Formats: sequence, C-alpha cells, structure tokens
Amino acid sequence: MTTTPLKSTGFYSESPRPGLLGWLLSTDHKRIGMLYLGCITTMFLVAVGLGLAIRLQLFAPGQHIMSAQTYNATFTVHGIIMIFLFIIPSIPAAFGNLLLPIQIGARDVSFPRINLLSWYFYISGAVLAVIAIFSGGGPPDTGWTFYVPFSTQTTTNVNLAVFAAFMLGFSSILTGINFVTTIHRLRAEGMTWGRLPLFVWTLYATAWIQVLATPMLGITLVLVMLERFFGAGLFDAASGGDPILFQHLFWIYSHPAVYIMILPAMGVISEIIPTFSRKPMFGYWAMAISSLAIAFAGSLVWAHHMYASGMSDFAILVFSLLTFIVAIPSAIKIFNWISTLYKGSIQLAPPMLFALAFILQFAIGGLGGLALGAAASDIHLHDTTFVVGHFHYTMFGGTGFAFFAALHYWLPKFTGRMYNQKTAVISWGLLFVGFNVTYMAMQAVGIQGMPRRYYDYLPEFHTLNMVATVGSWILALGLIVMFVNLFKSLRSGPVIGMNPWGGATLEWFVPSPPPMENFGEEDPVVTRGPYDYQGVTADEP
Amino acid sequence: MTLLPANNPTAQAVDSVLIYIFGLSLLLLLGITVVTIYFVIRYHRSRHPEPTSNVDHSLVLESVWTILPTLIVLTMFWYGWTNYVGLTEVPDGAMEVKGTARMWSWQFEYEDGRRESRLYVPVDTPVMVRLHSVDVLHSFFVPAFRIKKDTVPGMETFVWFQAPEPGSYDIFCAEYCGAGHADMLTTIEVLSADDYRAWLAAGQAPAGEHRGLVVMQEQGCLGCHSTDGSDGIGPSLFELAGASRQVEVEGQIHETTIDDAYLARAIRDANAEVVSGFAPMMPSYNEETISAEDLQAVVDYLMGRDDPAAGQQQLDGGKLLEVNGCLGCHSTDGSQSVGPTFAGIGARSVTLMRDGEDITQKVDADYLRRALLQPGADIVKGYPDIMPPSDYLEDAEIDAIINHLLQQ
Repeated sequence: MTTTPLKSTGFYSESPRPGLLGWLLSTDHKRIGMLYLGCITTMFLVAVGLGLAIRLQLFAPGQHIMSAQTYNATFTVHGIIMIFLFIIPSIPAAFGNLLLPIQIGARDVSFPRINLLSWYFYISGAVLAVIAIFSGGGPPDTGWTFYVPFSTQTTTNVNLAVFAAFMLGFSSILTGINFVTTIHRLRAEGMTWGRLPLFVWTLYATAWIQVLATPMLGITLVLVMLERFFGAGLFDAASGGDPILFQHLFWIYSHPAVYIMILPAMGVISEIIPTFSRKPMFGYWAMAISSLAIAFAGSLVWAHHMYASGMSDFAILVFSLLTFIVAIPSAIKIFNWISTLYKGSIQLAPPMLFALAFILQFAIGGLGGLALGAAASDIHLHDTTFVVGHFHYTMFGGTGFAFFAALHYWLPKFTGRMYNQKTAVISWGLLFVGFNVTYMAMQAVGIQGMPRRYYDYLPEFHTLNMVATVGSWILALGLIVMFVNLFKSLRSGPVIGMNPWGGATLEWFVPSPPPMENFGEEDPVVTRGPYDYQGVTADEP
Repeated sequence: MTLLPANNPTAQAVDSVLIYIFGLSLLLLLGITVVTIYFVIRYHRSRHPEPTSNVDHSLVLESVWTILPTLIVLTMFWYGWTNYVGLTEVPDGAMEVKGTARMWSWQFEYEDGRRESRLYVPVDTPVMVRLHSVDVLHSFFVPAFRIKKDTVPGMETFVWFQAPEPGSYDIFCAEYCGAGHADMLTTIEVLSADDYRAWLAAGQAPAGEHRGLVVMQEQGCLGCHSTDGSDGIGPSLFELAGASRQVEVEGQIHETTIDDAYLARAIRDANAEVVSGFAPMMPSYNEETISAEDLQAVVDYLMGRDDPAAGQQQLDGGKLLEVNGCLGCHSTDGSQSVGPTFAGIGARSVTLMRDGEDITQKVDADYLRRALLQPGADIVKGYPDIMPPSDYLEDAEIDAIINHLLQQ
C-alpha cells in the first residue's frame, strides 16, 4: 500500500523544541490533548484486560484463574484505572483539550502552562497507581470506593493508591479551572454564548463540577490517610466516629463525578447527530441549560448510593426525590437528539453509528437507574450485579461509546488521515452486540440476586454469567478491530481535507491537522451558529 | 435459572415497584427505539438527500416532554417510597433474633442465648433481625425476601421478613468485606411449626444452663407450657413449688399440693391427674425418653432447686469455633485459607514475626490464649494481620476452644 504524504503536518512540525521534549514541554493544547489521548487509551486497554480477566474468572462457579484475594485486587485496580485514569479524563482532558480552543475560535487555553502541569499530575498519578500495584503489601483490595472501616484496616497497598487518586483529583481541578476561564475569556469575536457548540456547553458544566466537587475527594482521601497513619478515629465507631460519614464524603464527590464522566459524552453526541443529519440541533437552549441543570441537580443526589447503609429514612426520602429530578434533564436530551433526526438527511457514518448506539445504551442505563433511585426497588437491587451492569450501561455504553464516536469523528482531524470506514462499521457492530450481551446478562443476574464483587457464586447464577463472559469476548474482538483500524490510519490512511463530514463548527474550517495556534495570522470572526449547515458541504472523498 | 419466590410481604412490596418502573421504562425504551429506527430509515440520505425541515425548537413539544416525564418519575418516586416504608415497619409480635456479621461468617443469637450459624425461624411468623457487625461493613441480603441492610460497627440496623412456606433461603453478604466476601453465605431455614418446636427441643445447651431446663427444651415441653405464668395449651410452669392445683382424677376434682412426687407422676403418666380446665392430651414420658436422673433434674428445676452440675458442663470447643465464625478463615482439613489451618495445630510449632524478627515456638495454651485475645501481637509468618480479637467470648468458652485446639 502506498502512503500519500500529508500536504501540511500542522502542529506536528511546528514546535519551538524538537523531538520528545517538544511534546513533554509543549504548552500547545493540541499536543497536550494528544498526550492525554495516548495515555488514556493505553490505560483503557490495561483496564479492559483486567475486566476480561474478571469475566473469565466468572465464567463458571468455583475458583479458576484467580484466588479471591487476586480477584478483589483485580476489580479494585480495574475500577481505579477505569474511573480515575480513563473515564474522568477521557473526553474532557483529551478531546476537550484538542477541541475547546478551536471550537470557540481561540489559539490556546487561558493557562497553557497549568494545562501542561495538569498532564504531569495525571501521569504522576498514573505512575503511582502502577507502583501501588507492584509494591508494599500487594495491590489494593478495597474496591474503587475505599469504604471504611475495611480500607483503614486492610494491609494491602491502599496508601499509595489513595495518594494516586489524590494527585489525579488535582489534575482534574486544574483542567476545570482552565476550561471555565477559557470559555469566559477567550471566545472569538462573534462567538456569543448562543453560538457555542453544545460540546463546549457540556465542558463548561463539567468544568464547574470539577472545580467545586473534586476538592471533596481530596479532603476525604486525606481523612482516610489520617485514619490509616494516625488512627484519627473519625470513621471508627469504637472511637466515637462514624463509618457512614465516609460514605457521605466519598459520594459528595463521586456522584457528581459520574456527571463529569457523562456530560462531555453528551456533548460529543450533540455534535455528531446534527452533522450527520445536516440539521440544526433541536432545542439548542434546552440542551445547553439541561447540561447545567444536570451539573447542579447531580450534585445533590449523592446519598442515593446509601439507601441500605443504615442512614435515616428521612434522608432516603429526600435523596430519592432529588434523584428522580435529575432524570428529567437527561430525558430532555434524549428527546432532542431524536427530534434532530426528524426530516434530516441521515448518513450512517461510523461516528453516527456510535452516537446512535450511545442513545440506546444510555437510555437503558438511565431507565435502569430509575429502579435504583426508587427506595423500595433499590433495597433489592443495591450492591448486586444489576448495579454493575447499570453503571457500565451509562459509563461504557454511554461515555465509552461516546469516546469511540469522538475518536471516529475527530481523530482524522488531528492526524489528517481517514480510517477504513467499512472496518469501522464492523467493529461498531461487534462492540454493540458484545456490549449488550455482556451487560444485559449482568443486569439480569443481579435482579436474580447475585451480589457484586463475588469471585465465586452459587450454581443458579451460572447461565447468565456464562453468557456475560461470552459477550465480553465479542466485545474484546470489537475493540481489537477498532483500535487496529484506527492505528493503521495514523500512518497509511487516505489523506483528508478540512471537512470530511460536513461539520459546521470551527474545527472543520482549519486544516487537518490544524496548525500551531490554529487560525494562522488573523483571528477568526464568527458570523453563524454551530449547526448552520447552509452552504457547508463535506469534502469529496 | 430459578425464579425468586414472590409469596412473602417484603418481596411483594419491592416487586410491585420493580414491575411498575421496569414496565414503564420498557414502554419508553420501545418508543425511543422505534422512533429512532423509523427516522433513520425514513430520512436516510439515500432516500432523503437534503433535509426538508430546519425546525430547531418547539416550545409546545419541549414543554410536553419536560412536564410529562416529571409527572411519571414523581409517581415512581412516591410508589418506591411508600413501599419502602413497609420494609421498615415491623409487625407487632415479631420474633426477634440478633444477627452478628464478622469476617466472614454470620451468627444468630436467640432470646434464650442460643447461638447458631444459620437462622432458624418458624413459618408464617414475622421475624425481626437486629443486625450488628464486630469488624467492617457487611450487608445482610436475602434475595428471596428482597431485604438488604448493611451491618455497621457501632450501630444497630434491622430487617424483617415473614416466610409463608418452609424452605431454605440464601443469605448473602452484599457489602464488600475482603477475601472471604463471596464465601460469607448462610441460610434462613424456615421450619414448619412442628419442625421448629423440634429444633427448639434439640437445641444445644448454652453454658451453665440448668439440666432440667435443657431437658425440657429438648423435649419441647415449652411449646405448650410457658415459664412466665401465662397458660398455653398446658398450664404454666411458673412458681410451682408448694402451689396447690385443682386436678381431675377419674372424673373427680381434687385439691393437690405440688411436690416432687406429683411432678414425677405428671411426667411419667401424664393424663392420670389433669389440671382442671386443660384437655388430657399430654404424652407420657417413660424411662427411655427421660432417664431417672433427667427426670429428677426437671423436677429440681420446676421446684426451684439449683442444678449442682450446671456451670461445670463440658463446652464443645469445636462447635464454638463454628458458631463464632473462626472457620471462615481457618480450615480444619489442612487446606490453605486466609489464616493458618487448625489441622494438627496442637502438635506443631509456629514461626511468628515479632518486631521484625522470626521466632519459632511450640503451640501451647498460653500461645493460643494470646492468639485469641491479642491476635495482632504475634502474627504467624506469611499471614495478614487482620484477625479481630475474640474478647467477646466468656472465659469458659476460651478455655474450651483452647482445649479443643490442643487436641487437634
């Protein structure tokens, strides 16, 4: 296969420093975005490997490939990597960095050096997490939730894992501060709030949660350290403390964090659906405001993780009510995406297929969440594999698929090369089938009563676990096909022009890959909305 | 796959909410999916090369799909809440059992002090389980009854259930608690009224119990005769010594003062002298069922005399290891587990880590006592420092465990 060279190599060749240092010391948002993208994808693949090992152990009852202790460490590390090193930074830190400045017509973020610092926090956290696995008393075995008193008593290497999560929190806070400031201060002339792409709106809502909620995680993890090192007694009933206090503190961050994980994904979908329908987003303001509403209401529902914890019934009443309120803006988004399809001109390109899969899977995840939000039904479903399935429907079927959609939509913009679209559709099909088989079975066995975090189970749970494991193999195959296809495109994919999809946001009007500082000599002046496709056409392939 | 039973009150409360929410959700999901697929096919670029509408909002539509879901989810919330309240309201007269979770086993303690590793309950009786934890968080989860509650150190929580059919129902630990989490299983054994009485009768004697009481529990006497003055199927056994009763002998009413001889007769030939107002339905107990010594013990107990042998009874160390959850971490067959095996423990030496140095010593009573009461002081090399102190045991129970282990 012959490889056509790129006409211009954009930000890849323009750097004040050559080689590796040009990347490690770069303050260019696109280079930092690519650094994040590379690290995040690597972390994702590592954690996928652990997830597949978990499913393999659960293929049949009994102990097969790992002992209980190994299993506990495996799901803990799977969770910590997926949550803190993949999902939280996936879309905001990678695609947010790549796209936010271009989409608002800016040359970079407000604080480029802090932006680089946040990547260093991220990579330090990642390295510490890896060290935690291979040193001390063995890999942490607390689950990613670090519930006390178990987490303050276990002899495994929890200290380092907690410190890693602490560092990653700072990375997230710095990115949030940077994005809020950038969106307020660096919009190009004519880029009014009403012309912001919806992806930017979701990054804006997300950034506020990152700034306001993440410090709670830092405080909570510091308290766990005080407990472990000095026996502070805050969470220790014998010293007058309260173990349930930890759960409140943990979820005050970690519930809003799931909106950090899902909001930018919704933003990605809101970019892709209009482009491939060639129609403006239906209900632009409802979409923008519902993002802020989710961020706000989502910060008030944390204790719905705790109906069975022993907290007061009055708290259950309040948190159950608030939880149902947060369902409404999510429902509005789904209705608006679907309405955008109405009388459009729909092209089922790979990004669009991933976006449509997102809508279905996020709807299943969201609707399943209703049964968890209602007090009575949650009592049965809580801490079963139904919750694990529900969480994966929103986080993997939702955010994960939005991440794949974003890869297929924007990666060519930043590499200048297109992947094989037929292969991409095959990988989408495998992922869609594998995903739904795996996690639907997991939800079903949870309704039957199988508790989560079990390395072994009773015979009545066998069939569905076997189905879920087979599903995970299809899923793995889909991931291999997808990543090989994307990877091959980096070197040998056909060269693309500025606008392969016919998008109307600003990134489609700069070269692929974009040059340093994005817009050449003159600052852009924005005269139209983000989804105004009048006169915008896709490049001829 | 087996379906969970749905015949009990707590399951019905949860299931009706589940069905309501899942049903509506399925309808919504179906609507969303059908409309999406229809749009994608109908407006595919091959059939519909250019968009024919540029409509980008509709106040009416958007209001409808904001208000309608709000109303729907509020009904879900309210239904979920009201049925949850039912899970917290224990019916009057519920039998109470104390459930204690520890790494990694359950213990159930009955009002009479009897301890078991399974939860035995009578059919059709509301049961309230008061939940405690001695170490970390656990969660008491019974899928058959749709009940779940965390056990929290330093705090009492509870669940209740009522089983309409005898059977064995799984109890899981649903809150992650470490290496033995998935093995922290036991069962609720729901017994028919007769079986439950027999189970009560066959119960093991708690430490220091009066032999007479034990015999009566074994024989199920207390199923008909109370010890608190309330008359049941038979007359109460409360404060019998020296009391006088009207008894019927061959149709004639006599006044009788209760003494040893009367009580012995009432057991051996039950219907010869029946207390007035009660039906002659008690079975007689011959020498084979209740030995002469046991008969004397029962009579002693009923006459309010102490049992000279009580308190010096042999406690079963093996049984204590089981009901106190020790076997969750220590095997008895030599296999590897979280803690060292008990097999052959009385005849071996252990290597301990103390202040960073290895010390090897013979297992003796002193060592075992220290290992039970201050397990963190000397850790056997290669094992984690996670065992909780067993200081809630009685001295006699600790002695029994040590004696038992030394014979292994």
